[in-house]
Amino acid sequence: MAEADDLVAIEEVLQQLERVSFVAHRDTRAALPAIREFGAVQARFWIETARDLFLHDREAGKSFLRHSARLAENSGVVEPWTGQAREFLQWVNSHYALEGFLAQVDRVWRAWGEVGEREWFAIGLRWCGRSLADARAYFETPFDRLDGGQGVSGLRSLIEPAERLFDERGLTLDCYLAGAPMARNMVGDAGLLSWARRGADLLVAGRSRGEAYFRMESEEGMRLLLEALPGYRARLHGRFLQLLLLAWLDAEIPLADGDWKPGEGRPMLETDGRRLYLPAVFDSRDEAIVAVQHGAAHLAFDSYAREHIESLFARAGMEHPPLDDHSRITWRPLFASFGEHMFRFQILFDLAEDLRVNGRLHFRIPGFLARLLQLAQRRELPKEPAGSYYRFALETYVGLREELRPLRGAGPSAEAGRAPHAPPGTLDHRLRGLLKPEATVLDAWEVAQELFADPAFPEIGIDQRKDAYLPGLSLNAARPVYPQRLRDGDLSDFRDVGDAYEEHRFVREKQEEAPEQAPEGAQKDPDADIQMPREETSGSGGRIGVGIPAPAQVAKRGVAWQPRSGGIPYPEWDYREQRMISDWVNLNERVLDEQAPGRAREILAEHAATLKRLTRGLEMQRPMRMAPLRRQMDGDELDTEAVIDFIADKRAGLSPKAFIYRRRAVRHRDTAVLVLADMSTSIMARHPGGEGKIVERVRSGLMLFAEAIDRIGDPCAISGFASKQRDQVHYYWLKDFTEPLDDAVRGRIAGISGRLASRMGAAIRHSVRAMQRVSSQHRLLLILSDGRPADYDDGGDARYLHEDTRMAMKEALDAGIHPFCITLDPSGEEYLPAIFGPGHYTIIDHVDELPRRLPEIYLRLRR
Amino acid sequence: MKNLLNRLRGVERDVLESPPDADAPFYVAQADEIEIFRAAWTRRLPVMLKGPTGCGKTRFLEHMAHVLAKPLVTVACHEDLTSSDLVGRFLLEGEETVWQDGPLTRAVKEGAICYLDEIVEARTDTTVVIHPLTDHRRQLPLDKRARIIDAHDDFMLVISYNPGYQTVLKDLKPSTKQRFVGIHFDYPGELIEREIVARESGGLDPDRVERLVAAGRRARKLKDHGLEEATSTRALAYAGELMQAGLPPRTACRAAMIAPVTDDPELIQALEEIVAAHFPESDEETAAVHG
Repeated sequence: MAEADDLVAIEEVLQQLERVSFVAHRDTRAALPAIREFGAVQARFWIETARDLFLHDREAGKSFLRHSARLAENSGVVEPWTGQAREFLQWVNSHYALEGFLAQVDRVWRAWGEVGEREWFAIGLRWCGRSLADARAYFETPFDRLDGGQGVSGLRSLIEPAERLFDERGLTLDCYLAGAPMARNMVGDAGLLSWARRGADLLVAGRSRGEAYFRMESEEGMRLLLEALPGYRARLHGRFLQLLLLAWLDAEIPLADGDWKPGEGRPMLETDGRRLYLPAVFDSRDEAIVAVQHGAAHLAFDSYAREHIESLFARAGMEHPPLDDHSRITWRPLFASFGEHMFRFQILFDLAEDLRVNGRLHFRIPGFLARLLQLAQRRELPKEPAGSYYRFALETYVGLREELRPLRGAGPSAEAGRAPHAPPGTLDHRLRGLLKPEATVLDAWEVAQELFADPAFPEIGIDQRKDAYLPGLSLNAARPVYPQRLRDGDLSDFRDVGDAYEEHRFVREKQEEAPEQAPEGAQKDPDADIQMPREETSGSGGRIGVGIPAPAQVAKRGVAWQPRSGGIPYPEWDYREQRMISDWVNLNERVLDEQAPGRAREILAEHAATLKRLTRGLEMQRPMRMAPLRRQMDGDELDTEAVIDFIADKRAGLSPKAFIYRRRAVRHRDTAVLVLADMSTSIMARHPGGEGKIVERVRSGLMLFAEAIDRIGDPCAISGFASKQRDQVHYYWLKDFTEPLDDAVRGRIAGISGRLASRMGAAIRHSVRAMQRVSSQHRLLLILSDGRPADYDDGGDARYLHEDTRMAMKEALDAGIHPFCITLDPSGEEYLPAIFGPGHYTIIDHVDELPRRLPEIYLRLRR
Repeated sequence: MKNLLNRLRGVERDVLESPPDADAPFYVAQADEIEIFRAAWTRRLPVMLKGPTGCGKTRFLEHMAHVLAKPLVTVACHEDLTSSDLVGRFLLEGEETVWQDGPLTRAVKEGAICYLDEIVEARTDTTVVIHPLTDHRRQLPLDKRARIIDAHDDFMLVISYNPGYQTVLKDLKPSTKQRFVGIHFDYPGELIEREIVARESGGLDPDRVERLVAAGRRARKLKDHGLEEATSTRALAYAGELMQAGLPPRTACRAAMIAPVTDDPELIQALEEIVAAHFPESDEETAAVHG
């Protein structure tokens, strides 16, 4: 009976739809048979939903009808998703989200079951409540991208930070989802929140910059993630690695950041013949050491010697190696003749050449082979086909080690160190010639050709190629290379001959000139590494390959924010992650353009009386006075008074101690001081209770200070800072330590004005670095501030820069520099104790007092 | 009485004493320094020994003094050393003041070789005192006693001077420098250094000596890259002695060659890496590599 009612109702709806829309009626009819199978009740519920959706929003209704038959078939149910689709009725214009939902709900249902699907939907529905655009992004993103392989819990942990930041910072999901799944792969669930929070901060600072961050298009987003990767961070240990090269190879080889990214296979070291490019992380410290030593060995033992390379190309039928615009050799033609077997040959060639170089390096660095072998044996054998190559290389090096063992160190213990049960040497006879000291890269080429003919080495593709290398070893032709002169192991005159600036300019110009290459016109090549930059390399003979290097990807998605660089990089402390972010801040030393010599004279005239009084006080503190030390056990002259006492006591039958000398010693107060003034916009504010602006008092204060210190003769410097986001911290020298106080300096001090914000940490770090060049015993850093440290891109989180400043302060103390803060901010009491510690700051309540107080404070401190 | 006992027990020795009869202190010539010194000695010219710390300057002089059979007075200069510490001063003894000769005065009077070690460390006024001694006058003025002492015929002045060592702040005046005959020292060559380390360490086995010296020579390359003083031959000898005393090689090297010279963590890592390369952890490790 009830069923009959339902069937009637369905017919009524159909008629209703027919009146409203031809399309709706047709689609409903098409989908209905699939739904009918689930019974009349469900069918009635479904058709009513379809009608309601259609009447609410035609597009929503249409997509509901379009997907229904498929959903019913795939999920085996109707009621759940129909009910969920009904929920979208709450919002106008929700059809995009609904479309996304319907497009994959059946797959979600099958993958996660009913419970999982319900949660997936519930999360999406919450986003509908927040913003429909975000909900659309949520439903349109394939669900298996969101879960990170962990099912619903993965989804939950991915979305949680976004929900939190939406409430805190208004971060849109749309933006977040662009990069979050990838970021999660790299930093894990735990690091996701801080990654996203930083992005949200940037988004507040600038929309395009923030979006680029989330899309992983900007360098800063990528850098942060790389820093979070596990492993041995080469860039943090750059100095250590460089010291090793210096010790072992006498070489100052510059190390630079490579452009390896996670997901590109094993991180490998690369070289262009001038620098070694390190990937962001290595698996282990040992691997980094091996890689750097091995990379330098290629330079030392002539893998890139011009003569040899030319002969190599001559053999390949080319008169000269092809050079790019930078006179770097491009490798492609060398490998081109091997066609699709290119990678197979490349691995074998590298294997032979690496063996040659390592065989020689072994004599320079004891223990190099041992370390390489240890790493190689510890690593799991890679899958075939790479495994064959890996095993062959490993056996070769075990053999090499056996071979070389008697040669190394004539001492008896070298022999004793041989393990009795070690497998016999398996150094392939074909490789033997490479161990001769006179072998060159040409021999390696020949050996490689011999090996190439051996069918024991399977075909291999680009994806497995990197796995075929032993740890620490890498593609030798990964970058175009500046040819070297013959060195034969001597790197002592190795220098980075390239002019970095020139190079930079050149690349910039080229990029501007280069016409945008149509994507389909771009050369498609299976191996981007061998011939970077992409260029015309077909044909043979003569100088070829002088095409214009073009950026690999030209299709732009909006303009990515480019942080300014070229200044001095400083790290910054992130309290939320409890770690330093290296090279986060870009600081530039600037010259202050404004000079106001006239105003300088006015200031001095105005404060003449104060200065006079100060000068009198200063006389008392002049250094270099000989302070007599009386009644000493020994000394340069007799202390007459003490002698008389002594003799008198003696005569009187006592036995006094002979403290009868007088000694003069200079009690030199050896203090250097740097005043770091906050030059942010806030100092341009009007004086709160008097005439003029705060900046006028700051000028007078600095001026009197400079005059006073000049009279005492202490080394003194004055500087100011202002900032605009993390990449533009400006540092202005008003007076350097070595500069005398002259009218130019006075003019500069009188000319300061406020601008931008105050990122204090970086300025302090820079000051500390400057003060380390001063040899004084006591070093004092006076920070003159008028408010909290803040910047445009701190996302309104005051604590962030507070904590960074506190950290910079600690670093200063560690460097033996005493920081002291003088602030004009009456509310300084609230945050200064936390940053500078009690007793390390003072608050000047009346701005008018600043000119008088500033020199006084210094004199009090230096005592 | 106590003084006499001490003297008998050898606890206290006079600054100035004739050389003992034992063998000359061990010294291996690096170049022509022995010839130059002998020539300077025959003309009694003042000599300046230049070279980095721990390369054998003091040992050389001890050796030469012994060979020439002359007493040697060594004064290690420090920043509080004044001219009266060298020349002498009045002391109260009993009821009266008594003049006490300083080490330099005694050497001048009695004809010894006076060695002022690391003279740049001393106050500048001390260098002025030695000026009249270093030219044809060969005199030592005693201002406080208003007297001038003519040097004994056998008196010879030797100073050591470490170029590059804090020379930014302290340096000898050119007027002082040009009064001396200069002998340049550097760390000895590898073979000589092995001989020295083997001998000084008291017979360390040749293999370990070889590794130790090789490690030391590598470590020296890091000078001026954060390392103010390079690993000295003396440090190598100490490391050898520690090994002889039973310490494992890496520990000995860390204690003698790394810990004293630097606090810079990266530099320590680099130095340890060098040491570790020359002294592999153990034979088990090498066996494991093959296993």
